[in-house]
Amino acid sequence: MNQKISKKDISKLLDELGKEFKVFSPSRESGVTTFAEWDGRDSSFLEWYRNTVISPKAQLQPLYEKMFSFHKDKEGYHLELPPPTDKKLIFGIRPCDAKALTIIDKTFQDTYQDPYYLDKRKNTLLVGLGCTNPYDSCFCTSLGLSPTQSSDVDLMLTDIGDEFLIEAVTDRGMKLIKKTSYLKEVTKTDEAKAEEARRQASSKVTRRLDTKDLAKRLLSSFDDQDFWEKVSNKCISCGICTLLCPTCYCFDISDELVKKEGSRFRSGDSCAFPVYTKMPMENPRLEKWRRVRQKVCHKYEFYPMSFEVIACSGCGRCIRLCPVNWDITQILASLPVKVKA
Amino acid sequence: MPVSDISYRKRFLTKDNVYLPHLVIIEKIIDETPDTRTFHFNFKDKGLREEFPFKSGQFGEYSIFGIGEAPFCISSSPTRYDRLEFTVRRVGSLTNALHRLSVGAEIGFRGPYGNGFPLDLLEDKNLVFVAGGIGLAPLRSLIWNVIDNRDKYKNIDIIYGARSPADLCFKYDLKNWDKDKSINMVTTVDKGDKTWKGRVGFVPQVLEEVAPSADSAVAIACGPSIMIRFTFPVLAKLGFTPEQMITTLEKRMKCGIGKCGRCNIGNLYVCRDGPVFTYAQIKDFISDEY
Ligand SMILES: Cc1cc2nc3c(=O)[nH]c(=O)nc-3n(C[C@H](O)[C@H](O)[C@H](O)COP(=O)(O)OP(=O)(O)OC[C@H]3O[C@@H](n4cnc5c(N)ncnc54)[C@H](O)[C@@H]3O)c2cc1C
Ligand code: SF4
Ligand code: SF4
Ligand code: FES
Repeated sequence: MNQKISKKDISKLLDELGKEFKVFSPSRESGVTTFAEWDGRDSSFLEWYRNTVISPKAQLQPLYEKMFSFHKDKEGYHLELPPPTDKKLIFGIRPCDAKALTIIDKTFQDTYQDPYYLDKRKNTLLVGLGCTNPYDSCFCTSLGLSPTQSSDVDLMLTDIGDEFLIEAVTDRGMKLIKKTSYLKEVTKTDEAKAEEARRQASSKVTRRLDTKDLAKRLLSSFDDQDFWEKVSNKCISCGICTLLCPTCYCFDISDELVKKEGSRFRSGDSCAFPVYTKMPMENPRLEKWRRVRQKVCHKYEFYPMSFEVIACSGCGRCIRLCPVNWDITQILASLPVKVKA
Repeated sequence: MPVSDISYRKRFLTKDNVYLPHLVIIEKIIDETPDTRTFHFNFKDKGLREEFPFKSGQFGEYSIFGIGEAPFCISSSPTRYDRLEFTVRRVGSLTNALHRLSVGAEIGFRGPYGNGFPLDLLEDKNLVFVAGGIGLAPLRSLIWNVIDNRDKYKNIDIIYGARSPADLCFKYDLKNWDKDKSINMVTTVDKGDKTWKGRVGFVPQVLEEVAPSADSAVAIACGPSIMIRFTFPVLAKLGFTPEQMITTLEKRMKCGIGKCGRCNIGNLYVCRDGPVFTYAQIKDFISDEY
């Protein structure tokens, strides 16, 4: 049975959850919206939060992450792993960003388990918050998602006025509800209000991406250099669209050494950068159009070939945050080769 | 050739963490050419050697702590249990640092990664090895492997070339193979010097002159991409089908295990699905970015 919670009780709820988990909620850090550790300040994010610039994926795959540290003594090198991850709870994740995690799980689980990401993933609860005020850059509905419903979270909240309706999506979510204070039983009217809120939210997502035969269409456009040159023309290879994309996961590995103490760390990387593929003698993606093609095809062609899911959840960040208004939905709509049905 | 079965490798992980390297010790350093060195190494925890399984053509990620990590193939053969070797050409920061190491140095190693050469495809076949420069490193592992199981294979041709006599790697092996009556060893250089009495000519050219028969044969070519690009057409002319041509591809790598993203060619990752491919597979690649 669904529950509900009054909006004015959210701070108290987060305080309570904070006793068991490291709670992360939407926050403004130096002017950039992101998910930051809940410190009991206030729940004003409920008023301004649409979606964050830095997606909550950063809690699972941080832009900078220590892999292990090392030091040397007379016996040689000693390597040490970072301490095990805390139990985390992400409060307010949007369905698109939750789906993004389900998508990148595939890579981190493929053949070799990626311990850093998967440990955090296992120890992180997701509390979703339905999106009632999507941006015009959002196109989640084209990727089979709903802005207010999700199978990728543990709990799902829907705004029904002064309260949130709470649904348990997983057993973990159910267990959490059972031991949480401040919850009330829902009425038929509440359910009806939630239904109406969901309907309205979906109708506000108006941007469309036609995914039918998309991988096939991309495959047949792959060698059309003129097209890729044209659509990559204005891109300045800043990497924002990939570094802030919740379904992008590429990383670099580097070492850092101060005196005899050092560490190996990984950091966000982007296929938009020419150095990404640079080898001493050659670079297979030196030209910008090849890098743009790689980004687009990886998401909508290669990833579905490997994992049967498009590596995009329609969060719209790459459209919203691009400094030159590069628009993935426009580009995919203008693919030169059409596949006959 | 996907390497989906990694159960053998799982046992070998350090603390269940695939990125955590094993410590290995450099036991011997051999100067191959002015810019290339071979390093003999062994696990610091010597017991690990017994558990360490690898195939010819597989690679590892080697690291100097504080400097970084890079992929190099294992240039010794799994049939020579007492040997673990890798061979490095000096081109950048890590490779230069490796060249500065001396015997006894402790470095990081994780692997083996990649698919390795398809030995079952080579059995009962005439084998034509074509290598240029440091491209002999992965092939050398395979060549010794084949020699150590000589009766499983038929004729062996080895065509190896380098820019100059000084740039020939593994001269001690070349001598051995030259003496071996069961092998047709052809060494060539792009440009000779005063003392060079052997052949002069580019590898693809020499391959055309040697003209090994494609009948019941497989050609395995490793070398700079420019050499490979010219070698495939020659092999085709000699009657080799794309299925009979094998090569290794090189891309920039970081993770070595299909996660960090950078070594893809279309939907494939060279680290995970390669680095060994038949030309038939390469022809089917979506992309020409290799
Ligand atoms: C599967 C595989 C097997 C290889 N085997 C050998 C071998 O047996 N012997 C040998 O001499 N070289 C080999 N290479 C190439 C070797 O990895 C590069 O020369 C080396 O990474 C250069 O590192 P650097 O730090 O000296 O160069 P830098 O230019 O300073 O490179 C910095 C970083 O870029 C990456 N990088 C740069 N170039 C390459 C490249 N060509 N391939 C992969 N990563 C690169 C590395 O991660 C490196 O840490 C192999 C490459 C691959 C992919
Ligand atoms: S954000 Fe825009 S300009 Fe920057 S790399 Fe992406 S498409 Fe290019
Ligand atoms: S590609 Fe763009 S819309 Fe899709 S998940 Fe990434 S940032 Fe969001
Ligand atoms: S090296 Fe990281 S994906 Fe291949």
